[in-house]
Amino acid sequence: MKSRKIPALAGVLFLTVLLAGALIGQKAAPPRPSSDDLLVPRESCTSILIGKDASVDGSVMTTHTCDCGICDWTWRHVPAADHKPGSTRRILHISQYQTWPPAEGLKWDLVKKDYAGFEIPEVPHTYAYHHGMFGYMNENQVAIGESSIGNQRKMENPTPAAGLDLTMLTLLAMERARTAREAIHIMGSLAEKYGYGFHDEGEMLAVSDPAEAWIFEIMPVGPLWTPKSDKPGAVWCAERVPDDQVSVCPNESRIGEIELANKDMFLASPNVVSTAVEMGYYDPKSGKPFNWKRAYSPQEGSAVSSNGRIQRLWRFFDLAAPSLKLRPEMPNMDLPFSVKPDRKLSLQDVMDMTRDRSYGTPFDPVQGIRGGPFKNPSYFRQTRLIDDGRAEYTTVTQCRASLPGPIGGIVWISFGSQDTACYMPFYAGATELPRSFAVGDHWIFSRDSARWAFDYTDFHVQVAYSEAIKDVKAAQARYEGETIARIPEIDKQALELYKKQPGEAARFLTAFGLNNAKTVVDAWWKLGDEILVKYNRLYLYDTQKRIYERGKPATPDWWKKAVRIFDILSEPEKKDNR
Amino acid sequence: MRTLSTLTILAASLALLAGPGLSGQTVPKAGLPVLTTSAGQSTDVETLNIVMEEAGIKYDYCDVPTADMLASGVGLGGKQSGPGFHVEVTTDTAKFPVGTPYKAVIFAIGASLKGMGASGLTLESEEARLKKLVDYCKQKKILIMAVHVGGESKRGASGSDNERMIDAVAPFADYLVVTKDSNRDGRFTKLAKGRNIPLTEIDYALGLVDIVKQVLL
Repeated sequence: MKSRKIPALAGVLFLTVLLAGALIGQKAAPPRPSSDDLLVPRESCTSILIGKDASVDGSVMTTHTCDCGICDWTWRHVPAADHKPGSTRRILHISQYQTWPPAEGLKWDLVKKDYAGFEIPEVPHTYAYHHGMFGYMNENQVAIGESSIGNQRKMENPTPAAGLDLTMLTLLAMERARTAREAIHIMGSLAEKYGYGFHDEGEMLAVSDPAEAWIFEIMPVGPLWTPKSDKPGAVWCAERVPDDQVSVCPNESRIGEIELANKDMFLASPNVVSTAVEMGYYDPKSGKPFNWKRAYSPQEGSAVSSNGRIQRLWRFFDLAAPSLKLRPEMPNMDLPFSVKPDRKLSLQDVMDMTRDRSYGTPFDPVQGIRGGPFKNPSYFRQTRLIDDGRAEYTTVTQCRASLPGPIGGIVWISFGSQDTACYMPFYAGATELPRSFAVGDHWIFSRDSARWAFDYTDFHVQVAYSEAIKDVKAAQARYEGETIARIPEIDKQALELYKKQPGEAARFLTAFGLNNAKTVVDAWWKLGDEILVKYNRLYLYDTQKRIYERGKPATPDWWKKAVRIFDILSEPEKKDNR
Repeated sequence: MRTLSTLTILAASLALLAGPGLSGQTVPKAGLPVLTTSAGQSTDVETLNIVMEEAGIKYDYCDVPTADMLASGVGLGGKQSGPGFHVEVTTDTAKFPVGTPYKAVIFAIGASLKGMGASGLTLESEEARLKKLVDYCKQKKILIMAVHVGGESKRGASGSDNERMIDAVAPFADYLVVTKDSNRDGRFTKLAKGRNIPLTEIDYALGLVDIVKQVLL
């Protein structure tokens, strides 16, 4: 008895601590930000940026994990257009969160009803682009990724005086910009003139082209701003990621001290400092240099102090440059703006980064019994991971200087949780996106919607995650890996066509994107079916040999021990209930 | 933005007074102390509080006050902020000691499922909570001022979350102030006429600064 009781008591103690931790992590309502003066979106998107000299093939890359869980995931292509002199562009209020039941129509049709009440002068020519929640890639290889960063509470401007939301700004940038710098100036100047906010708060955009990658951050200037005030209706700042470096934005402002004289690396609105002074967020007499993030979006804490809630920043840098040995205890505000990666990153490396679950770190979601017998990272969600499973979709954009815009730019799209999905490429010059990418929502299952194919597989993977994920990885290697390997040949063929007749190249690239997407979506529906059959009732079915094994997938011994310990923990409760 | 020039505020005030919004209606007078709160938990209540600060008016604020807290008067019964529940007491207690009954409650109307979720509310429970507050105000003759500054596109269609919040408060208000953008369809005008409620239309939230001064000071 004695020898049995000691480990049992240790187990009880261990589980008590564990369960207490779990209960602490399961509050009904999300906690208020650490400071009442700050609006902080800590559970949203992650965006990664890769400079051209930090990538294996010279691509400038950005990513956007569009984390929401209840938002719209649909995509559209907008063709180029010419506009008569005197034409105007109707401005819409576009909420990142609002969705409509499919029976009422598609978001990008219905959102036209949300007229912001004004129009702006149209430009003579607007460029073609692909967009989802935001504009992502135009025919000039101007690309965008996004992450909400919040702002000082009193900066928020949810009133209609703020004429422009973030989504609208990105669409305008796609329509009008030839370079990343132009995109930044277009978005910044429009926001200054017409006001920024309404649906959105402080936001970061990863803005890139074949030469440069920029972190652009924009904030509203408070609800009492009016267009008649003669003051900018937004405050913004942009810092360029050095060409040989990489950076990330995981819902935290990334720009610190700024050198406005260095136009090669910094761009900003004229009120970048004065607004902070007026609102009391910076005192020039303090003797300290102005620091953008400390003034407008100061988020304290570290990966460790937040118990993993804000570990993505540290995790990304540790993934990219482990030799720096950055410590997870380091306050996030003190982590660098960007780092030089230990080795140049390939497209596949970047895709894998978007799938990161912090395995093997102090924030490993499956350490101990957290993942259950089949090491499922979705069971214990205390830590906020880069791959959180809530993504509407994830993008990886590639901008390549060696090719003309329509061929050099590619947006790779994966739907749903990155670990169980597959990236599909769409060239900037493609003139059509799949119909299955334009439909569907979270509440009505639809086999017409590409997104549901990936949710279908993801759902079945959850049952025996550690086993089924191997099947998914095999499919990813085939459908994603082989497509990546084919890209140089597609580039070559497209370039030959482009030199003769650009229209032919566009048709070729469109067909490639559509055909590949159909193949992948069909494969994922089939993969979901196969996983269902293979692990049905938690046996292992061999469909070729028509046999099954009851002992597989095997429940590990440590899990059986954990179950016994839990039984012992529950015994007093059972007695009490008699 | 706190340091908006006097000229700007003066210009906005003159524009407001010259505009059609007041329509000859008398702005009701209530006096202090005042409680600000939300009907629907949107961030519009933050706008309202910033307006109060710009106007130099001290106020008490709670996003989800109960009728009991309202009945406790200044200080809101000593309730403290917690997760999904926020209290701010800035009323000058030298002039209005703790427990002084409120003379006005200003509701910022605007529904946010995100906001309600954070406060552990549903649309139905928010409606029920608001009804109790409105009933208490009516019983104790506390002026109800309802403000909608969120604009048309946040209103939504008939039966939307936002419209339900409007229905929960606006018909029982003693004074309505809305931005023109919020009233493009004339919904508030019709409601105000039908119930003989004074209504002021403003161009921007900035227009509220002068109005709260008129009502409360």
